[in-house]
Amino acid sequence: MPKHIVRLLTVIAVIAVVALTARWFFRDSSFYRYGHYRGDAPAEIASKLPKHQGSASCQTCHKAIYGEWAAGIHRKATKDNVIQGVVVKAGPGCEVCHTAAGNHPSKEPMPLSVEDQITTITHLKHHTHASNIPGRKLMLTPDEMRGLCMNCHEKMPGRPSKQPQVVIETHAGEELCTTCHNPHSPKIDYNKVPRLVAMKKAGTANPAAGGSVAKNCATCHGASGVSASGAIPNLAGQKQAYLANALRAYKSKTRDNGIMSAMAAGLSESDIDNVAAFYSRNSCKVTGGDKSKIAAGKAKFESAGCAACHASGGLRKPGMAGISASQAWPNLAGQNAEYLSSALKAYQQGAAKATQEGGRYNPVMTGVAKHLSETDIENLAAFLASTNCK
Amino acid sequence: MIEQEKNEVTENCGISRRGFLGLLGAGAATAAVVASTESDASMLGHKSDKKMGFQQSESQYEEALNNPPKIPNYDWNKHRWSYGVDVDRCIGCLRCMEACKAENSVQEDANHHRTWVERYVYLEGQDEAIVDSSADPKNIENVGSELHFRFDNRYEQEKVEKAFFVPKLCNQCDEPSCVQVCPTGATFKAMDGVVLIDTKYCFGCQYCVQACPYGVRSLNEQRGTAEKCNWCYHRITKGLNPACVEVCPTGSRVFGDLNDDNSPISQFIRNNKVTVLKSEMGNKPNLYYVGADKEVS
Repeated sequence: MPKHIVRLLTVIAVIAVVALTARWFFRDSSFYRYGHYRGDAPAEIASKLPKHQGSASCQTCHKAIYGEWAAGIHRKATKDNVIQGVVVKAGPGCEVCHTAAGNHPSKEPMPLSVEDQITTITHLKHHTHASNIPGRKLMLTPDEMRGLCMNCHEKMPGRPSKQPQVVIETHAGEELCTTCHNPHSPKIDYNKVPRLVAMKKAGTANPAAGGSVAKNCATCHGASGVSASGAIPNLAGQKQAYLANALRAYKSKTRDNGIMSAMAAGLSESDIDNVAAFYSRNSCKVTGGDKSKIAAGKAKFESAGCAACHASGGLRKPGMAGISASQAWPNLAGQNAEYLSSALKAYQQGAAKATQEGGRYNPVMTGVAKHLSETDIENLAAFLASTNCK
Repeated sequence: MIEQEKNEVTENCGISRRGFLGLLGAGAATAAVVASTESDASMLGHKSDKKMGFQQSESQYEEALNNPPKIPNYDWNKHRWSYGVDVDRCIGCLRCMEACKAENSVQEDANHHRTWVERYVYLEGQDEAIVDSSADPKNIENVGSELHFRFDNRYEQEKVEKAFFVPKLCNQCDEPSCVQVCPTGATFKAMDGVVLIDTKYCFGCQYCVQACPYGVRSLNEQRGTAEKCNWCYHRITKGLNPACVEVCPTGSRVFGDLNDDNSPISQFIRNNKVTVLKSEMGNKPNLYYVGADKEVS
């Protein structure tokens, strides 16, 4: 055989040997097991851990809420489980709004207190606890909370007519969805929602008749609702529904205060609505104060998350500070500084001292107040007292 | 002289040119006959008793049957997954899309997704639909973030004749073009019907992205590999529903096992008049639609 042919064949042979060795070396042993792919791949893909755990997994710890949801209309998208012969899955589950549970709660110390959970959910600032809590992106501002409901319930061409849809401007105006609806079980029995009853009545109240009722209150709260002492709250310019709710709470002693419960006991239902209407229409008195404290309080009002609920625009939109986003929450603008700071301090004490005289407990308020120092409280109170309520 | 040379050549090869061409022709004819009978059989639904997988040899099929991948409590020979979408029930809330991106760690921007929803709107007096999807720039601008998805209400003031939302995802075709073109064997058809991507073998050439007639594939630029819906293979092999089915609040998305007569998908197909998208492409999709309009493809 000629020399050059031998050389050529040698080169080809070497290349072939190298290629075969490389193939043997690099090819996964499971390749071609089931076809032209790696046989180990399906098991690898299947071994990934799911992030959505399903509503049933929330049941163990969140029993009460789960029960509310399970009994309510959000459990089922339709009345029965079968439409057009197809089994219809239950309606929006926990993770539809609260986002994927991930490894919650296994990788975080549990149990979190109620306040800590709500703080984590409500205030992005305090993400110190569990970063993987489902729903932590929820309820940042009134606007965002409404956005969540509007994802499914905004009236929009293309949505099937069976889907309940609203035009938010005419349906709720500036009010929050949660003022009337419980998101876990949103169907309303209008006679059973105290806040709603109060709001409905508010429309028919008679402020002039309220004026004569208010004469009994004038000794402490002042003739127009600007109180005589710093320890007593101003009522002028307060939310009407909030005032009516508070009076009813005093009357039924769910909110207990010796003097107020005694005063409220003598008021009829229409008296309560009328006097609330009277005060809510009055103007408050704004006090001046230490300018540096006011500036510090203003900054804290934003950073502590107060603005999420107690400002008309929420956290991210410019709005009036101290004017609450919902009828159900009190306005803070123009309130007495002394009264505000004592209320915040009472919230700090939390559930343990809630039943004592002057004790206050509310999971959201306690959660927020816990993160405030004494100076913070003083500054906040000074700032709010200097803000006009109209 | 020329004649002589020719004869010499043929003698050397041991076969005449005519003979060779004849053989070629016969071979092609046989292949054509075999191919046509095969395709006839598969069109009628009897592929063969063996139900061999896509591009799978007999020995590989035996191996898949007798020695399936080691997935705990799961045998891929016992399931035949399928998926249904009821267009009439979709409200376009896009919870499916957000859930999918979280579940599968899909790249976090508007244009990478494994499932999405399209909106078809016929304005009064118009013959053609205006289509926009969840990734439409106006919809993204409306939300102000690429982490959340929502349709804007741009037709609020218009006179709309007909409008509806159509969820889209991978069809897990019986004859997937993407698998056919993959040069490395990084994408393949599993025995239970799902088309999977092996991210270790994928090097991001994007042939499959171009091959897919449904446009369900994209390139994950963070990983440098192809990205596609796999019906949450890690969930369905554990007895769970895919994440999008799990979160769909209206039951517009239906999933199940065709081998089980009572599974939601079996009932869905049995009790409705279902269609598939782009049947003319011959990919034999496993994703069934109810109420998909003429323009949906």
